[in-house]
Amino acid sequence: MNVKAFLGGLIVLTLIAVGLLGPLLAPYDPNDQQLRAALQPPGWFDGAHFLGTDNLGRDVFSRIIYGARVSLLVAVSVVIVSGLIGISLGAISGYFGGKVDFAIQKLVEVVWAFPALLLAITILAFLGQGLFNLILALVAQRWIQYCRVVRGQTLSLRGRDFVVATRALGASAARIIGRHLLPNLIQASLVIGTFAMASAIVSEASLSFLGLGVPPEIPTWGTMLADGRAYISTAWWLALFPGASIFVTVLGINLLGDALRDILDPKLKRAGMHL
Amino acid sequence: MKFRRGKLCAWIVSLLIVFGITTPLPAQTRVAIGVTETMETFNPYGDSVSLLYGIWCQVMGCLGTYNFDKGDYEGMLAERWEVKDPNTWIFHLRKNARFHDGSPLTAADVVHSFNRIRTDPQSKQKQNIAPIASAAAIDNYTVSFTTKEPTAPLLEYLFDRFIVTSKAIYDKYGADVADRKYPIGAGPYKFKELIPGQRFVIARNLDYPGMKEKKQAPDEMIFRIMREPEQRVTALLNGEIQIAQFIPPHLRDRVEKHPASKIAPVDAVEIMFLAMSPKFKPWDNLLLRQAVAYAIDRDTIIATLLKGEATRLDGPIGAGQYGYDPNLKPKYEYNPQKARELVKQAGFPNGVDVDYYTPVGRYTLDKQISEALVPMLRAVGIRAKLLTPEWATLWADVQAGKTPFYYMGRGSVVDPSVALSQYFETGGSPRIGYSNPKFDKLLAQERQTFEPAKRRKVLAEAMSLLTEEAPAHFLWRHQMLYGIAKNIDYKPTPSGRMFGTEIRVLR
Amino acid sequence: MTAYLLRRLLGTLPVLLLITLLVFALLHAAPGDPASLLLSDATNEADVLEARQRWGLDRPVHVQYLKFISAAFTGDLGRSFRFAQPVTELIAARLPATIELAALAVLLALGVAIPLGVWAGARPNSWVDNLGTSVGLFGISMPNFWMGIMLILLFAGTFHLLPSAGRSTYGVAGSQESGFYLLGSLAAGNWPAVKDALMYMVMPALTLGANMVGILMRITRSSVLEVSHEEYVVTARAKGLAQRSVVWRHVLSNALIPIVTVAGLELGTLLSGSIIVETVFAWPGVGSLLITGVTSRDYPLVTGLVLMYAATFVVINLAIDALYAIIDPRIRY
Repeated sequence: MNVKAFLGGLIVLTLIAVGLLGPLLAPYDPNDQQLRAALQPPGWFDGAHFLGTDNLGRDVFSRIIYGARVSLLVAVSVVIVSGLIGISLGAISGYFGGKVDFAIQKLVEVVWAFPALLLAITILAFLGQGLFNLILALVAQRWIQYCRVVRGQTLSLRGRDFVVATRALGASAARIIGRHLLPNLIQASLVIGTFAMASAIVSEASLSFLGLGVPPEIPTWGTMLADGRAYISTAWWLALFPGASIFVTVLGINLLGDALRDILDPKLKRAGMHL
Repeated sequence: MKFRRGKLCAWIVSLLIVFGITTPLPAQTRVAIGVTETMETFNPYGDSVSLLYGIWCQVMGCLGTYNFDKGDYEGMLAERWEVKDPNTWIFHLRKNARFHDGSPLTAADVVHSFNRIRTDPQSKQKQNIAPIASAAAIDNYTVSFTTKEPTAPLLEYLFDRFIVTSKAIYDKYGADVADRKYPIGAGPYKFKELIPGQRFVIARNLDYPGMKEKKQAPDEMIFRIMREPEQRVTALLNGEIQIAQFIPPHLRDRVEKHPASKIAPVDAVEIMFLAMSPKFKPWDNLLLRQAVAYAIDRDTIIATLLKGEATRLDGPIGAGQYGYDPNLKPKYEYNPQKARELVKQAGFPNGVDVDYYTPVGRYTLDKQISEALVPMLRAVGIRAKLLTPEWATLWADVQAGKTPFYYMGRGSVVDPSVALSQYFETGGSPRIGYSNPKFDKLLAQERQTFEPAKRRKVLAEAMSLLTEEAPAHFLWRHQMLYGIAKNIDYKPTPSGRMFGTEIRVLR
Repeated sequence: MTAYLLRRLLGTLPVLLLITLLVFALLHAAPGDPASLLLSDATNEADVLEARQRWGLDRPVHVQYLKFISAAFTGDLGRSFRFAQPVTELIAARLPATIELAALAVLLALGVAIPLGVWAGARPNSWVDNLGTSVGLFGISMPNFWMGIMLILLFAGTFHLLPSAGRSTYGVAGSQESGFYLLGSLAAGNWPAVKDALMYMVMPALTLGANMVGILMRITRSSVLEVSHEEYVVTARAKGLAQRSVVWRHVLSNALIPIVTVAGLELGTLLSGSIIVETVFAWPGVGSLLITGVTSRDYPLVTGLVLMYAATFVVINLAIDALYAIIDPRIRY
């Protein structure tokens, strides 16, 4: 165990705890408005509102706590679902090559060329505004990055001695991909995944910038940031705290990801790397 | 390697010198304006945005304009006009009206412009000539318009809206080339540059009658697109622009506290309301609609969220709009107790669940206002769930009459007749789906009444009935704030058009 | 290799067709009607109907599609409803702005990310590594609109160093005919215009680039880390090659595959125009064109833009694949 892994684990555990216990921790109802007490600066430890209030007089601290739940849910589900789709398709595409590769890459090109905004508008217009549909809209575009990167690496790995040797010994394609290729693909996928988590949270903000996010009664860090941007010069706390929450979350996930990679990648251990 | 590094250093140093801020002072006066609308097309008829009408009006020329100071119409290309009979309007053009290339502007150009508005495949301005059946040149300087039916407020349609362009240039080059390469008009300003998505630049035309005397009018006006409010304020305080459109309420202080800038407010002619379509349950229930009216604390929202920058509406319109009656009954005061009782009387002892729709970023603080309305509604038992669909989706549904309960605005309401008919008359549009024969009768009567005092009375009666029936609850009109540099004297107009002749640069 | 690339190019035709079909179908299926969105609120129903007819919206969707496709083969993408101009003209006028901005953003990002990533990967867990990681994470955590407004407040507002929005100053004669302000002015040796163009580009390019630095730096770092334990690198080191030359010659060249992939992907995304950055900085590129197109349901414009993206992506994808083979001779197609 080392400091970074410990720190990462601590952050992520705290976030999970906050997400689960939100209602118990939050001092106020996140949607409780006090219009006449709007835009109060952070009271830190002596005021009624630890992190101040927003333009409708809602408690920023409580909204951050409730927001953690939704933002994390969105981020984690988007990353896992799009990662699963992207990595499998990428590995298959790179390993088999030929017609399979061709077909999958055509699909990638079609989806990739499609404006994310248009995709999101259509999905949300048809299925309605809501958390699940938002996740769907984000996943629809996000698996591509995994797919391309994993395919590139698989192409390179396919010709390596250990893969060629395994194939010569008669191993099935599924076994080669699962046992020999995937562990080597984890590295880059983890990096993409940890970053995709941040961009999923941020994308949710961008969609609500256009009014396409989750319904306003569900507080999310992204919506808070998008709404707070109008007040950057006059009420800095509205955009700063959700922004900082996203940063800390991403940092924690990355630190944990690093530690996880070291455990998963036997090569590094063999080389005597102690992290 | 050493040598290369030396070169790099020299390059960096020269770059630093180049980057030093040395803006030469222009010999002419320039007023840059930060605006929110896009300006994209070279076709003067290809858009329907009040800011652009104003720009094209100054470049190409308009028949006339509404002078908000005098409270009356005045001629630009037309020097006078008369109503020959209820269906025939005669406009007499100025004999000295000339295009920027020196050729005279004649009645043929006006008729050509009428035809172009009507037939140009890209025209988005047909609504401005909707009451007119035909246009004809009587002689070189006289045009007659024949209306489909008697239309007392015809100038409302034509002035500031009807852009006159040259027939000769159009005939010679065709629409595309004429618009792109020869934007030669007859207005008080000349076309200088239009870079789509960036800016529109116009320069003073000293040959226009009276322009030489307007010594303080800016020599050049630069309309620059700036969507973000923080950006317009920053640019204004920086001196990059001299006028900033639409400052949101919470940034007012930043502008006013700066020594070189000030705020100029103007009441918008856009009415904001909550629509409750009686076509849908539970909004078919009059008591529930009235409960909404009592449940909403407009004064608190105006005082807090809007920082006082809105005028409360009692009835569909407010002061300064045609037919306004300060004594219009009923007046809804904030009374949650009464609202709660009305909800119960309406047959919902345990409250009622409704979906509530709002646009985002279309009107001043629209989403925030709607978020603030939700708890007020919930407090009286109307459990509203706020939804924010993308604008195109919402607007399509509203126009098709598929949205039961929504926040919306109706702009350009000076004379309320058209707007009332569009939203509330049977067959006006499916938007609200309200139908009341008594109201229809009043509107029909109002349109046929030419005597102003009588017409006002009928209008007031119709609006009183509408307020009582509450298919919509009228909320307020926003105040638009313009940020203006101290060395500029300008009074913004309710319609949003900006004329160089109304701007004075103080030296 | 060449045969492969040729086959790929031929294979793009059906992809482009499929994309236009999909866009067409989705756009028409999405709620919202261009005529009522674009015409003034005061327009009467008859005129709205007439506009629909004029724009060909009254015909069945498949007829509209076939008409569009047959015209597209002759290079005509139709006329935008919103802008009243041929779509090809609109795109041609806007694309140079996006290309210049995207190129600068990618260059800035690569310039920061690769050295930082290589350094961090060569010395894992050093202070450089930690600093680089934090910078990268910061860049990705901050949404574009937030970062953009902060830069404007700081560099335009507080320091008065840069203009707050737009692409050029009126009156500074730049090369505006080609649309490439920076390149055009550079070629013409018009230094005031070069300065002007750069001043306007700095903030949007930084905002766009900041997002990429994080992921590029991390990908570089982890690839370098991975490769540096491969046998050939260990061998090279054992042979006594200096650390710096080992890193640059052996490690980086082998770590390039994922870097190239991600940079290519990001460049593709940037070329499609960052809607948010272009809106915040009033940058007249294709991104702001797309948002206007989508929100006003401007069918010809959106379809034309998507077609352009598709073509861009196909080219970038091909370039990435070609680069793979150059970087790693073991890759065969």
